[in-house]
Amino acid sequence: MFLFILKRLAQIVPVILGVTLVVFLIMQMVPGDSAVILAGEGASIETVEELRENLGLNKPLYEQYFSYIANVFQGDFGNSLKNNQPVLDEIMIRLPITMELAFFSILITIVLGLIAGIISAIRPYSLSDIGVMVVALLGISLPSFWLGLLLMYVFSIKLQWLPVAGWDSAAHIILPAITLGAGGAAIVARMTRSSMLEVVGQDYVRTARAKGLKEHVIIYKHALRNALIPVITVVGLQFGSLLGGTVLVESVFAINGIGRMIVDAIRTRDIPMVQGGVLIASLVFVFVNLLVDIMYRVFNKRIDLN
Amino acid sequence: MKNEVVLEVKNLKTHFISKKGIAKAVDGIDFVLRRGETLGIVGESGCGKSMTSLSILRLIPSPPGKIVDGEILLNGKDLVKMSNEELRKIRGNQISMIFQEPMTSLNPVIPVGEQIAEALRLHQGLSKRQAWDKSVEMIGLVGIPSPEKRAKQEPFQLSGGMRQRIMIAMALACTPEVLIADEPTTALDVTIQAQILEIMKDLQKKIGMGIIFITHDLGVVAEMCDQVGVMYAGQIVEHQNSATLFRNPLHPYTQGLIGSLPKLYENQEELQIIEGTVPSPYDYPDGCRFAERCPFAQKMCIEKQPELIQYDEDMKVRCWKYTAQWQEESSSREMVTQ
Amino acid sequence: MTVNASLVVDTAELLLARRQVRSEKRKAFFSAIGQNKAAVVGGIIILLYISMTFLAPILAPYDPYEINLKDKLQSPSGDHWMGTDDKGRDILSRILYGSRLSLGVGFSSVFFGASIGIILGLVAGYYGKWIDTIISRCLDVMLAFPGILLALAIISALGPSLINVTVAVGVFSIPLFARIVRGSTMEVKQLEYIDAIRTLGANDFIIIFRHIFPNILSPIIVQGTMRLATAILSAAGLSFLGLGAQPPSPEWGAMLSSGRDFIFSAPYMAIFPGLMISVLVLGFNLFGDGLRDALDPRMKK
Repeated sequence: MFLFILKRLAQIVPVILGVTLVVFLIMQMVPGDSAVILAGEGASIETVEELRENLGLNKPLYEQYFSYIANVFQGDFGNSLKNNQPVLDEIMIRLPITMELAFFSILITIVLGLIAGIISAIRPYSLSDIGVMVVALLGISLPSFWLGLLLMYVFSIKLQWLPVAGWDSAAHIILPAITLGAGGAAIVARMTRSSMLEVVGQDYVRTARAKGLKEHVIIYKHALRNALIPVITVVGLQFGSLLGGTVLVESVFAINGIGRMIVDAIRTRDIPMVQGGVLIASLVFVFVNLLVDIMYRVFNKRIDLN
Repeated sequence: MKNEVVLEVKNLKTHFISKKGIAKAVDGIDFVLRRGETLGIVGESGCGKSMTSLSILRLIPSPPGKIVDGEILLNGKDLVKMSNEELRKIRGNQISMIFQEPMTSLNPVIPVGEQIAEALRLHQGLSKRQAWDKSVEMIGLVGIPSPEKRAKQEPFQLSGGMRQRIMIAMALACTPEVLIADEPTTALDVTIQAQILEIMKDLQKKIGMGIIFITHDLGVVAEMCDQVGVMYAGQIVEHQNSATLFRNPLHPYTQGLIGSLPKLYENQEELQIIEGTVPSPYDYPDGCRFAERCPFAQKMCIEKQPELIQYDEDMKVRCWKYTAQWQEESSSREMVTQ
Repeated sequence: MTVNASLVVDTAELLLARRQVRSEKRKAFFSAIGQNKAAVVGGIIILLYISMTFLAPILAPYDPYEINLKDKLQSPSGDHWMGTDDKGRDILSRILYGSRLSLGVGFSSVFFGASIGIILGLVAGYYGKWIDTIISRCLDVMLAFPGILLALAIISALGPSLINVTVAVGVFSIPLFARIVRGSTMEVKQLEYIDAIRTLGANDFIIIFRHIFPNILSPIIVQGTMRLATAILSAAGLSFLGLGAQPPSPEWGAMLSSGRDFIFSAPYMAIFPGLMISVLVLGFNLFGDGLRDALDPRMKK
């Protein structure tokens, strides 16, 4: 197990390097002279040249990349073009908000998805199954930004149960978390259902039934534990699109998280800010995936044999 | 106590109803199982023997499967008419089952000791601790060394033979009155097969349960069974004591089966095989279901289905050859040829 | 010489058998998809949307761009079935014309991503070894970006526009296609007849495109349909964020974005474009599910 974790850690090193390379290249892809862009509008030629010298932008590309990595690992993500403050400071303010949103959303994804999937699988092709699956299909088809607006319209504007936007109280979390978690919940529900249906046909479930176990013990102890194994991976992958989705949901509900920061930064052409945001989000995703992999391993010890 | 009938199956019919039609997998089975006795049910794959065994505990996948007729009497009480809850209390308690595939029949994510213990807690009301101890004891009883350690392991850590022993331990934990063993040794290699059979016989002596032994292996039947039902196309075609069956098989199908066995001391040029194929369960012929493959088949065999007739004490056969009509027909045939 | 001749005959037989397998599969596929009601519904939805793109000029009752401040923010009525927006434009007409943009971006981004992804996957799967390692590592890196963030990164460099959204969303599709194609290619490569053809001297190019590619079409088609759904969603999302189509474009995501500001007074401005996106994506999902069940017997119930 320890060896496995070590091996997986070693495997993500090239991925992280690759991610930093791509993020580094964003700057290079921007048309025009990086130094001019970084100096901001209306900067004098002297300022531009000074900046070029200071940031080493006159050095070859690979040297620039190495110094970029070195800086990143020291926590230096560069400075914002807007206010010249370190990007990392801004990220540190906003990351907890996004993580909180992501946490509650993934909670909704898992809990809602599992419950719906199990309800479906217990009586396949029944009305409850068809109902759940239709809702799940809608869940993967509705754009989150639209769903968010609809929820906001119904619950905040018409019923006035919940605040419209912002991030001040627990009540503020509810709608964004549902909006962001709904798509994942739908996918988890579909996966749980198909996985359960497959497991229910397995020999060991028949054995459990032949033992005279009660139906709920068969479902929850014998079937579900096995059915969950593939679902874990799906949840892990879902976390990625969830992080991407924060961009949209934070914009809909005016939440000052990383996602909204990136979008605002793109609008104002604040490239270092975009780089920092994308890099942080990707690193979080890479580590979450690592965690999911390890969990999968723990749940499914049979892999050891193969 | 012995000789007492524990399980009686009367005219059991299990059909599978689907778009393709009705598959009559089990089509009118009768047998009687006594305490301490082993009944073998033999036949080729697809003859309905596994479906018979699954029908007894109503474990047929439903839909599409359904017991459409018949009675299954455990100590006189009909399992077919029981509520699911009543039946649940019998499963694993009074009647338990061992399946063919030890690799897939155990839950891969639950320690084997717990898989045995859960039935003990449920049916015998043992505490967690007691059930675990009994479970370890059972694992030792089926001949697995260091049972305390093994009980905590998960199936993937055990060999095929060990897993089947675990299945036996699980099935026998609640000292059932009837054990249904569906090809329990087919997936195992020969030496382990012998050990498993030995354990089963041993435990039968200790517990005194009746065993229904489903197999396609006549060698195993000879070793294990007191009486034998031979199944063909959803029906029992012959029923005998196993001692007499091998010496004196009545039904042409049984004769074919026994003829196809490789004989150790005879220098056979080649094995006999029964030609032709088993009829589809969706569409059985009107007459005898074996007629198409039978070397003795006559007009009457194709026209009308024979009943399972009492040939002798403890000997039943479903074949026109042993009826009075056959005698008449054949004498009239002889007259025609003369 | 004789050896070679018999090899040719054997190979021909193998090829023929393979073709037969394919044509039988095709027949089974059409009957399966025809019986799947959900897939038929999905297919009809998609066809309706596609015809909408062609018929927009005929169906649209008004000019989608004509500003008429006198009639702004009217609720749905007999004159304006979906109401009018803040500039007095007819929402229905805009939606009809917008279908060209939303579908166009979806299809072209998937086509773009699929073309590159398929080639990468074929090369990685066919050649294996270090080529595979390099390509696979690059794919891993692309997949390490969560959701549409890679698209965002690309747009931040190229600047907001509908074309750049197409490229960005397409790039995000590349690793998904490449991975599936790589796996299938490695499977097909093992088949007997590929060896036979190679022995006969076919070059790699012919083997890959004439013999392997036709055999891995089904997973590509399934993936393509599913990807269309997400690509349309992503592209609309980026336009919603103001990073794609710019006003006054009637792209649905952009329409939704301007509708957001009027959610209190004129919710229909946001409701109709969102509904159009949802139904279209639903259509692709239904059709994709049906395709997968019909093409991949392992997934069947």
